[in-house]
Amino acid sequence: MPSICMYFEVHQPFRLNHFSVFNIGHTHDAHSTYFNHHLNQKIFEKVASKCYLPTNNLLLDLIRQYDGRFRISYSLTGTFVEYCEKYLPELLESFKELFNTGAVDLIEETYFHSLSGLYDDLDEFEDQVKMHQKMIKRVFNYKPKVFRNTEAIYDNRIAQKVASLGYKGIITEGTERILGWRSPNFLYKPTNTNLKVLLRNYKLSDDIGFRFSSRNWPGFPLTADKYANWMSNSFGDVINLFMDYETFGEHQWTETGIFEFLRHLPGEALKHESLDFATVSEAVERYNAVGDLDVPWAISWADEDRNVSTWLGNNMQIACFNELKDIGQKLKRKGDRDLLYVWRLLQTSDHLYYISTKGFEDGTVHAYFSPYEAPYDGFINYMNILQDLKEKAESR
Amino acid sequence: MKIAMIGWEYPPYKVGGLGTHCYGLTHGLADKNVQIDFYMPKLRQKVASDNKNINIIEVGETTIFPYDRPDDKELGGRFFDAVYRYNDLVVQRVKGRYDVIHCHDWLTMKAAVQLKETLGVPLVLTVHSTEYDRSGWIYPNQWFIDIEKEGMQKADRIIAVSEFTKRVIVEKYGINPNKITVVHNAVYPIGEGEKKNLVLFLGRLTIQKGPEFFLKSAKKVLEYEDARFVIAGMGDMLPKLIEQAVHLGISNKVIFTGKLTEEEVQHIYQISSIYVMPSVSEPFGITALEAISAGTPTIVSKTAGVSEVLKNCFRVDFWDTDEMANKIIALLRYQSLHETMRQSSKREIQLFTWDRVAEKTLAVYRGLM
Repeated sequence: MPSICMYFEVHQPFRLNHFSVFNIGHTHDAHSTYFNHHLNQKIFEKVASKCYLPTNNLLLDLIRQYDGRFRISYSLTGTFVEYCEKYLPELLESFKELFNTGAVDLIEETYFHSLSGLYDDLDEFEDQVKMHQKMIKRVFNYKPKVFRNTEAIYDNRIAQKVASLGYKGIITEGTERILGWRSPNFLYKPTNTNLKVLLRNYKLSDDIGFRFSSRNWPGFPLTADKYANWMSNSFGDVINLFMDYETFGEHQWTETGIFEFLRHLPGEALKHESLDFATVSEAVERYNAVGDLDVPWAISWADEDRNVSTWLGNNMQIACFNELKDIGQKLKRKGDRDLLYVWRLLQTSDHLYYISTKGFEDGTVHAYFSPYEAPYDGFINYMNILQDLKEKAESR
Repeated sequence: MKIAMIGWEYPPYKVGGLGTHCYGLTHGLADKNVQIDFYMPKLRQKVASDNKNINIIEVGETTIFPYDRPDDKELGGRFFDAVYRYNDLVVQRVKGRYDVIHCHDWLTMKAAVQLKETLGVPLVLTVHSTEYDRSGWIYPNQWFIDIEKEGMQKADRIIAVSEFTKRVIVEKYGINPNKITVVHNAVYPIGEGEKKNLVLFLGRLTIQKGPEFFLKSAKKVLEYEDARFVIAGMGDMLPKLIEQAVHLGISNKVIFTGKLTEEEVQHIYQISSIYVMPSVSEPFGITALEAISAGTPTIVSKTAGVSEVLKNCFRVDFWDTDEMANKIIALLRYQSLHETMRQSSKREIQLFTWDRVAEKTLAVYRGLM
């Protein structure tokens, strides 16, 4: 009997100010000049009112209505929690209320939603995981058991590190590139370490996340009972439905009926004897790994390619990434805590995502999420800021 | 299908995008087995057709050019007369059985309208630019506007080179939008050369093309990065621009080329590392496609029609010389940016073919028959 494992990624980056070459070397306070606080607050409040708050309320109602039989999991990035604390503390209270129902699990990740898992050594990655751990402890008084790296980026090296940090499970993409003929609806184990891997069922997840309102999709219109039928006909231990939280009300607008779908989903699913809901921790406890996964090259849940080319696919992205790593070493030697924090905010993967020049179909998705007109504008802005930070790192 | 096309310039003797367009369009159509009689003024050197479906017919001599302004001294008050005289010549010269008359821009519009009536065939008009563009939206001349308006009203279909131009035709000339089809221009790729540290402006040196903004940006760039700035082309602003470069203290970094031959134009595209098109008003801007085809990353004015369809370029406000300089400096400084933009934009312009332009134009013809 498959357990439905629903998990939502909740993240907001700190978007950048317009920063031209003429600004390089002429900034005093990095934090206030690099980041566009006005725009960031505006976007955060908009998404909160369209997505975070209504979805939280709905899910809270559903958990109560089904008396804890409806169970979900979240990962909240450190930057997202900072937004809440700064602009909308009641949103954080709402997440606490959800957590306190006992039907909600929390997932660990890097505090800054960064690509530090791809650095040459994993010290910075470990630091950021511990920062996240500390934040979750402080806000929720909880220690997560399952880890999900930024955008589900995963390889053998990351798996080993995560196992060594004491986690029981890790989440990544259920792509054929690592599964071959095997199903994502089971738990697996990394070939090189002892950890359980939860794999996103990308077909069923994307039916909600991407295709829900697509009229030329044969599944349209998607209703909760139809979807529950699909799930009950699925074979395996778990059905991992992992998606951006913004799916609800932001990527799929209210008018598409996404909230009605969500409202009816638990009831329709629980009508089937064969289905129940589980949090990620419960799934990891309940089921055993059925096979090994060998992932020498990093995969992710992004774009058609399901690799890291979304962030490191062109020379501009690689140049910024290398610059970023280089500045980090300088800053760590310098030991300036404020600049180190700014450097970490600049590691948020979104900054590199905006510079992606990938093809037309994926490109339109990128364009939708980007504050820049074109990836080239994103590059100049980001690179100019990195140059300014580098000057600061090199000065005494 | 047989078309009487009334044009103005034709490569290798051309001044602007109109000539490039006519060459690409006639060849694209000829490849689709459309027969074209191309009527144009008699030049000192004879223009020969290189395609059996294209017949070039010289109408007669004239002293005017499509980008002339009536206040040009050498023409003086005789300008209007010269235009009327040439149009009369066209009307006398065009004979035969045609399915469509296709006319380009204001200069031969009067003749085209008259031919439509005498021959009783539908008229298609391509608008490459309007008087508003050519005047840089400063004191447009009513005489041109009246000719353009009459032509647009009498034409059965109008082809505009961009959505921007379509809007001008609708809003400024009061034309029904349903009769206007937008067909964006195309390019014959030039091929890359060895890049020198040059930043290029290429176009007529007139208010419309915004060369003074190029110089202001150059001044700002030179405070941070070394490069040479090339101003290629001729026009009434040349003396003023030379003076401006001296005033800015950058005359040792600015090269004025004067008029270039077709081969020289190709060469300068090939060796330039950045192309800037800061036009105040630019209905399309084929030069951006030409520069990119020569492997030169391009910065275009947001107003340019080409920016509606071209993704892999920078778009700036023509007056925002800080931002223009910011982008030039970044392209000079960050190799990864230059390289990525060069590759992606070159790949993208493979979509801009004259075959596509001919296909869309042919659909307009068919709709009239």
